[in-house]
Amino acid sequence: MAERDDLLLPSELFVGLPEEKIRQIAAIGHLATFNTGDVIIEEKEPSNDLYIIQRGLVEVLVSSGVVPDVHGPPEPTPVVQLGRGQVFGEMGLVDQGARSATVRCLQDHTAILVVPREAFWRLCEADHQIGYVVMRNIARDLSFKLRHRNLRMLMET
Amino acid sequence: MVYKISYVITGGQYPGAIVNREAPPQLGEIVELGEKRFEVIEIADLIPPQGDFAFLHVTLQPIEEA
Repeated sequence: MAERDDLLLPSELFVGLPEEKIRQIAAIGHLATFNTGDVIIEEKEPSNDLYIIQRGLVEVLVSSGVVPDVHGPPEPTPVVQLGRGQVFGEMGLVDQGARSATVRCLQDHTAILVVPREAFWRLCEADHQIGYVVMRNIARDLSFKLRHRNLRMLMET
Repeated sequence: MVYKISYVITGGQYPGAIVNREAPPQLGEIVELGEKRFEVIEIADLIPPQGDFAFLHVTLQPIEEA
């Protein structure tokens, strides 16, 4: 539990929540460890969980045609690396669509908190402060990722 | 303060990264992403701070390994 709290407290996803509510979220997740090359989620698969990186590094890969405005070869192509404190799987949490990307581990002993979507939604329904704050923070995180992608595209032109 | 950083890398060979760190980035600093090393050549605020988080854009330049 203490390790999960250490993970959640520095995560932007929970900015604005009191500590006891962060503990409630930590209690519904579990820690998973991955090694270099492990595929954590795969594009086109159903989405069920939200992932928060405690330590380590992962890369996000997309294939041409899966995301309409991302061009490239048909094989998965890295678009960003995500490190400690970052979140992925949030698109599936919000829209329940299939995975839009593959996420692969880049460092041994990468530790990730896995939060099941259904349990998380139940918690949000039961406590609207948690639901509002986390959804606001997810929106800011998605905005940040879009800004990152825009800057990257500018750099490539 | 936690610094959430969007690393964008010149040259288009590397995908860039988003990471949290406790210390602010410095111009000329060497950053390791995976097994690669990069030099910080530009730092800018990306969006206003929220709570204990600052949101920065950092441009990196790959270091040519000897």
